[in-house]
Amino acid sequence: MIKVRNMRYKYRNSSQYAVDGVDFNINEGEIFGFLGPSGAGKSTTQKVLIKLLSGFEGEIEHRGKPLASYDDSFYQDVGVSFEMPISFSKLTAIENLDFFKRLYKKTVDIEPLLKRVGLWDDRDKKAGEFSKGMKIRLNFVRALINDPKFLFLDEPTNGVDPANSRIMKDMIREFRQKGGTVFITSHIMGDIDELCDRVAFISQGKLREEGSPRDLKIKYGKRTVNVEYRENGDVHSQLFSMDEIKTEPFFNLLRNKEIETIHSGETTLEEIFIKVTGVKLRA
Amino acid sequence: MPNLLTLVKAEFFRLNKYNLFTANFVVLIMWVVLAYFLEAEMLLRFIPFIFFMDSIMMTILLVGATLFYEKKEHTINSIMVTPVTEHEFLTAKVLVNVVNSLITVAVISIAVYFIKEVTFNYLLLLPAIVLVTVVHSLIGIRLSYSAKDFTSHLINYMLYVFIFALPPIFALFGIISESVSRFFILLPPEASSVLINTAFTQIEAWRVVFSYIYLIALSAMLYMFSVKPKFNEYLMKETGV
Ligand SMILES: Nc1ncnc2c1ncn2[C@@H]1O[C@H](COP(=O)(O)OP(=O)(O)OP(=O)(O)O)[C@@H](O)[C@H]1O
Ligand SMILES: [Mg+2]
Repeated sequence: MIKVRNMRYKYRNSSQYAVDGVDFNINEGEIFGFLGPSGAGKSTTQKVLIKLLSGFEGEIEHRGKPLASYDDSFYQDVGVSFEMPISFSKLTAIENLDFFKRLYKKTVDIEPLLKRVGLWDDRDKKAGEFSKGMKIRLNFVRALINDPKFLFLDEPTNGVDPANSRIMKDMIREFRQKGGTVFITSHIMGDIDELCDRVAFISQGKLREEGSPRDLKIKYGKRTVNVEYRENGDVHSQLFSMDEIKTEPFFNLLRNKEIETIHSGETTLEEIFIKVTGVKLRA
Repeated sequence: MPNLLTLVKAEFFRLNKYNLFTANFVVLIMWVVLAYFLEAEMLLRFIPFIFFMDSIMMTILLVGATLFYEKKEHTINSIMVTPVTEHEFLTAKVLVNVVNSLITVAVISIAVYFIKEVTFNYLLLLPAIVLVTVVHSLIGIRLSYSAKDFTSHLINYMLYVFIFALPPIFALFGIISESVSRFFILLPPEASSVLINTAFTQIEAWRVVFSYIYLIALSAMLYMFSVKPKFNEYLMKETGV
C-alpha cells in the first residue's frame, strides 16, 4: 500500500538528515504507529508521506505508484491532522469545515461527526475561541470530511481529555474496520498499544525496531511467570521460566498457597521505547 | 482549475469575517464623499487618481493584510493537503483583488454619474483596471511573503511607493528632466497610470500599446520567476511549524 525504501530527508537550512534512511511498509487496512522521542523525525516522515515536503531521497510508493507521480488529486483520498491544530480563527467551526468540504469531490455529513466528538453545540462558536482540545477535535473531524482512504494523524490525542480521546480512538478503529489505512504518531504508549496493528520505533532519524505490539512485547520481555502469594501474613514471590510452568513445583505452588497475583514477564511498549530509542519518555 | 470559484468565494467570505472588506468599503465611501465636494471638471481629473490609488495601493495593502492573517494562523498547511493546487491558490488571491477593484470602479462610476453626471470611457477603463490590479496583486504577494510581519510589509510597501511612484511625481513638478522621465513608463505605477488615463484623456498610441504589452509581460515574469518561487519557499518554511 505505502512502501518506503531508504527514505532520507534533510531540511534545507539544516546540515543533518532529519530522517536518515528508513524502510517500512504500511499495509492496506492497518493502523501503523510511529513512535520515537521528540525530534526523532516522526512529523517529518508524515510530511514527506503526504507530499508536503518534496526533495526526499530514496523511494516511496503509494498504491503501487511513485509518490511523486501523483498530482494534487492525491488529496481526494487523504485526511491529515497536524501536530498543531490549524483553523481560521475568525470563522466558526461549521464555517471552517464548510470551506474545506467544498474542496473535495466526495464528502461526508458534518453533523454526526461533530456530534460524535462533542462539538455540535459549539458549532457556531469561532474556532479561535476554542480550547486546545476542542481545536484538536475540530482538526480531527476535518481530516475525516472527505471520507478518506488514508489517514495521517500526528499526535491526534495529545491534549485531548480521556473521554474524548476514547471516542477518537473508537473512530480511528471504525475507520480501519471500513478498510481505511492509518499512519499515526504518538507519545502516548497506551494509545499506540491499543490502536496499532504494527508499530515502528524511530530515533535520530533511523528506525530501531518494527513489529506488532504483541510480538515486540514478547520479544523484549522475559519468558517468565512471577507468582506472588501470601504466607504467614507476608508476601512472597517466586519466578518461573515459561518451561517450568509445566512442572510440579509450579502446580504445587498454585495448589497449596494463597495466590495474590500472577504476571507473565512480557514487557510494556514504554519499556521497549526506552530500550530501543535510548531515551526516556517526554511525558 | 475546478477549485478556483470556491476559493474566490471563500476568500470574500473571509475578507468579510476578518473585517478587511469593511476597511476597504470605508475607503471607498471616503472617495465618494470627496467626489461629492469636487466640481465636475476637477472631479474628472481626480477620478483616475482614485482608481490609481485603489488598484495599486489598496491592492498591495489588502493582499498584505490577508496573507498576514494566513501566516499567523498557518492555514496554508491545511489548504496544501487538499486537492487545491498552488496555482489555484495564487490565482484566487489575484482574482479576489481584481473583483475588489472592479467593485470600486462600479461604485465610483455610478456615484459620480449620479452626483455630477460625470462619465468616461468605461470600455477602456475595465481592461486597464484588471491588468493593473493583477500586476499589483502579484507585487503585493511577493512583498508580503518576504515580510516578517505586517509592519515590515508596510515598510516594503512604502519603499515600493517611494522608488516607483515618486519619480513620476517629481517629473510632474519639473524636478527631474524630460530626458530621464521618458523612461518612467518602465515603472509599473507609471505604466499603470498611462492605462488608467486612457479612459479619461487622449494618450499617444505607442504609450498605451507599450504599457499593455509591458504590464502583461511583467505579470507573467513576476508570477513565474518571483511570486511562485517565493511562495514555494514560504511553503517549505511553513511546513516546519
Ligand atoms: N522546518 C524545519 N527546519 C529545519 N529542521 C527541522 C524543521 N522541522 C523539524 N526539523 C528538525 O528535524 C528533526 C526531526 O523533527 P520532527 O519534527 O520530525 O520530530 P518529531 O519526531 O515529530 O518530534 P516531536 O515528537 O517533538 O513532534 C529535528 O531535529 C528537528 O529539529
Ligand atoms: Mg512531531
